[in-house]
Amino acid sequence: MEDTRRGTVTSLASLFPVEEAQKAANRVQDAIAEKRAELDHLLRFVADNNNLINLVHKLPEELSHEIMVPFGKAAFFPGRLIHTNEFLVLLGEGYYAERTSKQTAEILGRRGKALDSQVDSLEAMIKDLQAEANFFSQTITEAAEGLVEIREDYIEKDSHKEEIKSGPLKQHTSDLEKTEADNEEYARIVARMDELEKEELAAESGIDNEKDEQTTEDVGDISYQRPVGSKPHNSEDFHKSTPPVDQANNKSIATGSAEKHDNPDIADQLNFASLDLQSNVGEGKNAAAKKVKFVDHRKPLTHHEEKTVKATTASKSEVQHQPSQPSFNSHKAFTGSIVEHTENLKTLNGQSSSSTSSQVSGSRPSKPVSRFKMQRR
Amino acid sequence: MESLTQHKVQRYEEFVDRRLKPDLQHAIDERDKIFEQQKIFTDLRRNIENLEKNSITSLRTLVNLGSEVYLQAEVTNTQRIFVDVGLGFHVEFTWSEALNYIQKREERIAKKIDEYNQLIASIKAQIKLVLEGIRELLQLPAEKSLPERSF
Repeated sequence: MEDTRRGTVTSLASLFPVEEAQKAANRVQDAIAEKRAELDHLLRFVADNNNLINLVHKLPEELSHEIMVPFGKAAFFPGRLIHTNEFLVLLGEGYYAERTSKQTAEILGRRGKALDSQVDSLEAMIKDLQAEANFFSQTITEAAEGLVEIREDYIEKDSHKEEIKSGPLKQHTSDLEKTEADNEEYARIVARMDELEKEELAAESGIDNEKDEQTTEDVGDISYQRPVGSKPHNSEDFHKSTPPVDQANNKSIATGSAEKHDNPDIADQLNFASLDLQSNVGEGKNAAAKKVKFVDHRKPLTHHEEKTVKATTASKSEVQHQPSQPSFNSHKAFTGSIVEHTENLKTLNGQSSSSTSSQVSGSRPSKPVSRFKMQRR
Repeated sequence: MESLTQHKVQRYEEFVDRRLKPDLQHAIDERDKIFEQQKIFTDLRRNIENLEKNSITSLRTLVNLGSEVYLQAEVTNTQRIFVDVGLGFHVEFTWSEALNYIQKREERIAKKIDEYNQLIASIKAQIKLVLEGIRELLQLPAEKSLPERSF
């Protein structure tokens, strides 16, 4: 498909220039080295603390110990350790506590725990930094390779049918034509919506059933979509057929529905497309009709074959489904049922040949239900 | 011409930043270390003199076991003192011998400090020289030593 969607292709290298990524990676490496150094420091404290605890345990075993008593930094005195069970522990801020060996050991144990928690947090930070470094190195290699990031907008409704023209529905003339004439169709659709509404009202009851099946998928997704319109499927066609709009519509719908079958995505698209239409019309019928159209435009390439086939079937099914459609309608917002199938059918059949709004207009007079329209509106 | 000058200026600046300034820093650090040592020995000397003056034979101290945990220690005989003479050796001295040694040690330290002071001064002078050169190149007006002073 060509670009109906506006897409952007950005090379990763532009998003993350290689040199900058390199610099960032280096920075992260430096940070990691720093943290590692701190970690070593802390680990040394932990080791010292453990040694001290052992010492504190051992000292009270003797009454006194012969030691070299330091005198400043550069001199020693030979002397003895006395009162070996009395330890003076610095609590911080110039406060000391005199404690026994066991109590000192407890204090040191608590200090050790605090150190351990610090070590843990530091290790966690190092891990995070490493993950960051990995990301950077990855980006660097990717950018160097020339990876590109392709971003496309998700276009729900096709106000630009022209865009979709690329995928022509070759087989179905009407539908195919439509894709090309999307723009025109859009204008026509708006005009037709009103008519369709009327027709739908008439055929709602009959068509609802069928449509429900098919459109449920779509409809479910888009609540606001009209019940009828939600499914571009054949059932929808019926709905549309009830307001026997243009044959073209039906066909487009059929193709749309066909598409939908093939691609759930298309269905979504249809839904969205139909949504647009629906919003205008407010009725399911129109939406369905419109949706189908959109769908056609959107993915002409993939589905045209199927569409064509389906279109034909759709048209046929429309006729058949009409009576069964009313159930379908229930799923959609469309509340009324399209009663006047026959009329629509006739119009559909007659109109299938022509794919333009003329059909719609032709169908219009056959719709008796204006009152539904009013209700729905 | 401009670019040549620019190039030169840049080279001079780089020289200053890369060689001279770190050298200066290094020299200052070394000098500080020596200062510390000097202080240690000065303190030791003063303590020993104190001991001698008050004829202190024994004393009680608090010995740091590590992580600021102190234990009482008693020195019974303060006549003998072991002084660190470098390279991991400690020599047993009496007070007067110790004082003697400390004196000699202090002299050596003072000489070292002088050396470092000179080194630092020369490095600073070099930096000034290069900066002047840069200024000349850029033809900025000379800042100081303006001879004209109208009093």
